[in-house]
Amino acid sequence: MRIHVYERLWLVASMILIVAFIATVTYGTVGLGITMVDDREETLSPGDIDEDERFEDPRIEQVGENEFEAYVVAMTFLFQPDPIEVPANSEVTFYVTSRDVIHSFTVVGTNTNTMVIPGEVSVMTVEFDEPGEYGIICNEYCGVGHHDMEAELIVVEEDEFDLTELSVDAPDTVEPDAEIELTATVSNGLIDDLEATVTVEIGDETFQEDVTVGGDESEDVSITVDADDLGEGDHDWTVTVDDYEETGTVSVASDTDENDDGSENGEDTTDENDASSTVEDRLS
Amino acid sequence: MTQLFVERFPDQARLVRLAFFNSFAAFGIGALFGLIQALHRTDVLRIVESPTYYTVLTAHGVFLVITFTIFFLVGLYQWAVTTSLERRPVDMRITKAWYWLMSIGTVIAGITILAGFLDDPPEVLGSQLSADVLFTFYAPLQGNPLFYVGLVLFVVGTWLAGVDWFRTWWAWKGDNPGARIPLPTFMVLTTMIMWYISSIGVAVAILAFILPWSLGLIDSLNPTLTRTLFWYFGHPVVYFWLLPAYLLWYIVLPKLSGGRLFSDPLARVVFILFILLSTPVGIHHQYLDPGIAEGFKYIVMTNTMFLLLPSLLTAFTVVASMEHGARQRGGEGYFGWLDALPWRNPAFTGMALAGLVFAFGGFTGIVNAGMNINYLVHNSAWVPGHIHTQVGTAVALTFMAGSYWLIPQLTGNRLVWRQAALVQVLLWFIGIVFMTNSMYRAGLVGVPRRTAEPQYAFEYDVGVGSMTELDFQLALGGFLLFISAMLFLAIIFMTWRNSESEPIVDGTIPPALSGPEDSPRVLDNLRLWIAIALVLVAIAYVIPLASIVTRGGLFGPDIGPFPVFTDPMILLEYGSKLIGMVVI
Ligand code: HEM
Ligand SMILES: [Cu+2]
Ligand SMILES: [Cu+2]
Repeated sequence: MRIHVYERLWLVASMILIVAFIATVTYGTVGLGITMVDDREETLSPGDIDEDERFEDPRIEQVGENEFEAYVVAMTFLFQPDPIEVPANSEVTFYVTSRDVIHSFTVVGTNTNTMVIPGEVSVMTVEFDEPGEYGIICNEYCGVGHHDMEAELIVVEEDEFDLTELSVDAPDTVEPDAEIELTATVSNGLIDDLEATVTVEIGDETFQEDVTVGGDESEDVSITVDADDLGEGDHDWTVTVDDYEETGTVSVASDTDENDDGSENGEDTTDENDASSTVEDRLS
Repeated sequence: MTQLFVERFPDQARLVRLAFFNSFAAFGIGALFGLIQALHRTDVLRIVESPTYYTVLTAHGVFLVITFTIFFLVGLYQWAVTTSLERRPVDMRITKAWYWLMSIGTVIAGITILAGFLDDPPEVLGSQLSADVLFTFYAPLQGNPLFYVGLVLFVVGTWLAGVDWFRTWWAWKGDNPGARIPLPTFMVLTTMIMWYISSIGVAVAILAFILPWSLGLIDSLNPTLTRTLFWYFGHPVVYFWLLPAYLLWYIVLPKLSGGRLFSDPLARVVFILFILLSTPVGIHHQYLDPGIAEGFKYIVMTNTMFLLLPSLLTAFTVVASMEHGARQRGGEGYFGWLDALPWRNPAFTGMALAGLVFAFGGFTGIVNAGMNINYLVHNSAWVPGHIHTQVGTAVALTFMAGSYWLIPQLTGNRLVWRQAALVQVLLWFIGIVFMTNSMYRAGLVGVPRRTAEPQYAFEYDVGVGSMTELDFQLALGGFLLFISAMLFLAIIFMTWRNSESEPIVDGTIPPALSGPEDSPRVLDNLRLWIAIALVLVAIAYVIPLASIVTRGGLFGPDIGPFPVFTDPMILLEYGSKLIGMVVI
């Protein structure tokens, strides 16, 4: 075949260019040891998400010194959890799956970006050095509300980060001659111990107790108040642990008016007021 | 001056005109929808509700990259085969059959999409008549079965067109034993070989999985599998759009420049490379997909980079041919010859500008192909930026420019408003520069594509310029493009009506400087190239597909359908269900 000299030169230059591109990309991926989104996770049917221990409760978990795992579920047209909070100076591995159609999990303006395909679990490890706030969006069309599908990613200062949960167990109504028992459960999702002060305010009284909650454990703090001391009527209570707060009301009432018609078995007093707070209703 | 095409082959000219008519009708609607999108996304003007935006976008995608491009292709190829072999089809009934199959398919799919605009679309075949699934129709988003039926008819029509052209060639070969395949026909046949190999993917995806599933015959499918089959077809389809433009660049542009094609052998090599490399690369659209191992992604990345070669070679040949033409016209100097090119001819200028945009867009394509940088741009506005420089301009503008040269030969009428035609191609160029500049830059700061309202609670971190400025450029560019499109349609319409005139166009194509005799005969051995292409496809796809099926099953890990409705009531219901879920 007759090829003009210039053509030959161009051909050689083109091949060099192509090989150079391949080399650059190879270095930029394999060379730097960056792992791509791939098939390392088993498939997971959308119907089994609620039974899967990672995704039944979408959340952040600490798995190592500065290592976290985030289990995220995408669905029309939201992400769970939202917001996603992680500490600065950490390495977070995101596991993302979809409940329905194909979505994406995209941290805007970064290369943290993956398709989220129902039946598959996408895995991505991201390093967060500095505190900051990012938008998370779905950038694959997923239906009529696609443009509303967004969440927040908050990278907080390392020492401000916790995985604390507070829940309180207290009665709704008690007889004037009974005792009010209130139990606050503080759980700590971090690996390190959590030193915290549990403050309970009820009526005019305030109780404080210091607790140390071990890594991945929870502690109960109970206080008991005589209903008599508070007197008849409604009494607000507040439990605070660090930035978390739970509130409720207990009524001290003799079993008269409302309960006259037969329910004398005192069941009312055992009605419980369960409250729990997670990151969502945290005080700012 | 030889006889015009319409005089030599009146029935063929009529068929080509019909195909172009469908193509341009789709182009007009598509352009209008493009303008609606540009104004909606930027919040300049929102004439539809945001959920309906996706009906618009589906129609924009399907009408432009399926109907407009492929009807132009079949028209152009019918012309190319007929003129270069100097013969009519063996059986004109087949020719009519493919034209009507494609047309009926388009109408069925088109009606299904447009029914999405109705407040209360009728029930057809067990589900609402609409298909807001965009042109990629990723399951488990589900459209009405008729949408898929329309697509299938359309694709079967194109297959039949290929058969038609192959038969014409076989008949010609019988009469001309031992002759080299004329270059335009060679290009047609190689394009169709590529198309047969690749469109199998989408045919299997639709016929084996998506269509039965939309009809309720099967309950579940494997979205990774149907998506992979889609992209098996989805990359080669971009060459199906591009190769007719290449045909015009190789065959017509050198002539318009006043010269001859530089090298016929190299043109053949280029088209063969497309047969070989177009298909085993589709997974590069799935770099971010879970369920596909990194190794497979790496293999397609290297294949993709090699796919640059035919385009780089084309750049050389096209520029060399233009330079030759310019020097024939008296051009001199290193760059001085550029002055001697016929810049006042809209057909030439349109193609030259299209080529320029294509070269730039090619570099953005390399960015997409880089499996690491892809993470930054995947599904951002960068991607429609790339789409509009490549198919939206390199291809579309070449088709428009080519029409200025072809339509007079197909109608026997003189091109009207030559000055306006020149303005038209320039306007397209300016419009695309604004629009894609905005899309590329917006994509880099993370603005997503395919989104009615890319305005969120957070602010984009626009380094240079501002979001307002980017939006302005998008709206302005979209507006200029729309005006340009309408001007094009008006010029074509008036030319078609301009029957009281004699065209001033010479349809003869001069032979290449270096003709087919300079190339080994093996280049014309199509069977060989098919065989090698199939081996490459097998290497790139057998293991990934097997792995997808073993992991997720042929019919997937129990994935239910998800019909898309734009009905606001249903939206409300969804909304309340969602709120319910969140509260729980
Ligand atoms: C009047 C001229 C045009 C305008 C104003 C226009 C505008 C747009 C806009 C704003 C988008 C982005 C939509 C989004 O992602 O939300 C888009 C997408 C697109 N356009 Fe155009 N466009 C025009 C012409 C064309 C042409 C000529 C073609 C191809 C031949 C084309 C093919 C596409 C494709 C394939 C997409 C992506 C669709 C999708 O994501 O599903 N456009 N267009
Ligand atoms: Cu989405
Ligand atoms: Cu591609």
